[in-house]
Amino acid sequence: MSEPILSVRDLVVEFPTRHGMLTAVDRISFDIRKGEVLGVVGESGAGKSLTGAAIIGLLEPPGRIGGGEIIFDGQRIDNLDEEQIRNVRGKRIAMIFQDPLTSLNPLYRIGEQLIETILTHLDMSRTDARKRAISLLDEVGIPAPETRIDAYPHQFSGGMRQRVVIALALAGEPDLVIADEPTTALDVSVQAQIIQLLKRLCRERGMAIMLITHDMGVIAETADRVAVLYAGRIAEVGTTRNLVHHPQHPYTFGLMASIPSLEKGADRLVQIPGSMPRLTAIPSGCAFHPRCSRNFDRCEREQPSEFETETSKVACWLFGGDDR
Amino acid sequence: MTDALVQVSNLTRLFDVSKPWLNRVIEREDRMFLRAVDNVSFEIRKGETFALVGESGSGKSTVAKMVVGLIPPTEGEISIENVSMTDPAQVETMRSLRRRIQMIFQDPFASLNPRWRVDRIVSEPIRAFRLENDEKAIGRRVEELLTLVGLSGDDGRKFPHEFSGGQRQRICIARALASKPDFIVCDEPTSALDVSVQAQILNLMRDLQSEFGLTYLFISHDLSVVRHMATRVGVMYLGRIVEVADSANLFDKPEHPYTRMLFDAVPDLMMSGRPHQSVEGEIPNPINPPTGCTFHPRCPLANDRCRSEIPEPLAAGASVVTCHAREEGRTE
Repeated sequence: MSEPILSVRDLVVEFPTRHGMLTAVDRISFDIRKGEVLGVVGESGAGKSLTGAAIIGLLEPPGRIGGGEIIFDGQRIDNLDEEQIRNVRGKRIAMIFQDPLTSLNPLYRIGEQLIETILTHLDMSRTDARKRAISLLDEVGIPAPETRIDAYPHQFSGGMRQRVVIALALAGEPDLVIADEPTTALDVSVQAQIIQLLKRLCRERGMAIMLITHDMGVIAETADRVAVLYAGRIAEVGTTRNLVHHPQHPYTFGLMASIPSLEKGADRLVQIPGSMPRLTAIPSGCAFHPRCSRNFDRCEREQPSEFETETSKVACWLFGGDDR
Repeated sequence: MTDALVQVSNLTRLFDVSKPWLNRVIEREDRMFLRAVDNVSFEIRKGETFALVGESGSGKSTVAKMVVGLIPPTEGEISIENVSMTDPAQVETMRSLRRRIQMIFQDPFASLNPRWRVDRIVSEPIRAFRLENDEKAIGRRVEELLTLVGLSGDDGRKFPHEFSGGQRQRICIARALASKPDFIVCDEPTSALDVSVQAQILNLMRDLQSEFGLTYLFISHDLSVVRHMATRVGVMYLGRIVEVADSANLFDKPEHPYTRMLFDAVPDLMMSGRPHQSVEGEIPNPINPPTGCTFHPRCPLANDRCRSEIPEPLAAGASVVTCHAREEGRTE
């Protein structure tokens, strides 16, 4: 097992409001190892995008880190000032956003955007930077990169644009890429291509990817390990294979069973009653207990700690504690 | 077939995407048309769920809008219970049919008027079609509808913003049911929802279908949702239907190369190690579609005939496939 490139310890992301403090990410901890793809999956409002934004220092005020540590390659990065974080952000940790149309500047040729990014992070001449930009475009599978480099974003299709965004992320030779819903805006046939590309880059460059998505299918295709988030907390962490085949936490179990299957038709889907709680009304104890079919009195009183099972780490009283 | 509720024949819809008149004169350009739907025919039988599946730009939503009459077709005909929805001579009969056709939209945040209370939203079809005249009876009916879709009868006094996405979609379903329809067109009804909520809505839609004998036209880009819901499926690509088959057949044995490619592209959720064929290319620009079979630039089986001649729909086993390669037996 290799070294973690990123360790997140008890991370809290909070929003001060007129009605008091809202905790969007509540003491979550996880590691990402070198060269590993960690999937972070959850429904809307689970806090997965905020976790990504907190790591790379892009939380929108008034949101802020309210506690915990983020350690990247042995160094704490959650308390760096704006100047220092710039040496990390974009260079050592890069980000891929959901919508390739809004993450590229429509007024600049993609070559200029790539060269600018390369020159910001690496010390080289403009001519070399252009060569490098071409080789990056080639690496992410853009045909005829020598000519396409002078095109504008609108001249690319959605899938090709997302490839350009990935090339931009690679420009500073990052060790970790945070990909926030990288395929959600794309059609399935294009999604499949982008997934293949991310897997290949991870393998060839040995970089780690934190893959944030709501789509369990994308996770199953790509990730080595998965963290399932619910209402700002980690419900379960484990290897993808174990989580897909032997989900332990009642939420993970419900989530897996509610996905319609392509292999076999079922008459009814398993449904979890209710929906994700709003931030203003997170239930006491285990946040999932009002929707859980297996809850008992302790779930309502006390927030579960993390328990090791044979296949994963689960935050659920069913797997530990004395009164189960 | 006699039990067809909806019959769509040779439906075509063009959208005018020309530049303004002055630009056309100065730049000497002709008018430009986008062929969103091209010669599409299918029928929907009573009580079944017919799904149209395809990627963005395939024209599936345009078909849905034409079937409910939100936009008129450029060519072709839609008839419901043998009454033509496009023939001006049958306008009177058509009006009486309108009540029996309803639609559920994709985005429950955009399809409910934020300034109306839920009871007013749900009662609008009842008032519009004068199904009840007495205010008390309308109120009772609204309560009944809200309970039917799994909300509480008192929720009528609230505004849409007080509900979550899934609950809003339930309100949309209640509104659609208010006019006691036989046929509901559902345009991506769950694609804005989270999976656990999607499961609730899909289950609800199936329960309502068996309770009221509804017929659905179900539009979706998600193959696993289609597999779960549909009795029969039409696969669309660039405005044309490339394959129509019973759901079970289609998923067991896809015939058209595009259908196969779509299936290959779906992530392997159960990590079964299902072999993936690599997927090539993207859907081309519909303003300037490829000649012949529009799928040929991405098709592994394309030959010269595919590049020049538009294939005709042909029966292949239990399904109808629009493909030269299939006709010539080159698909195996």
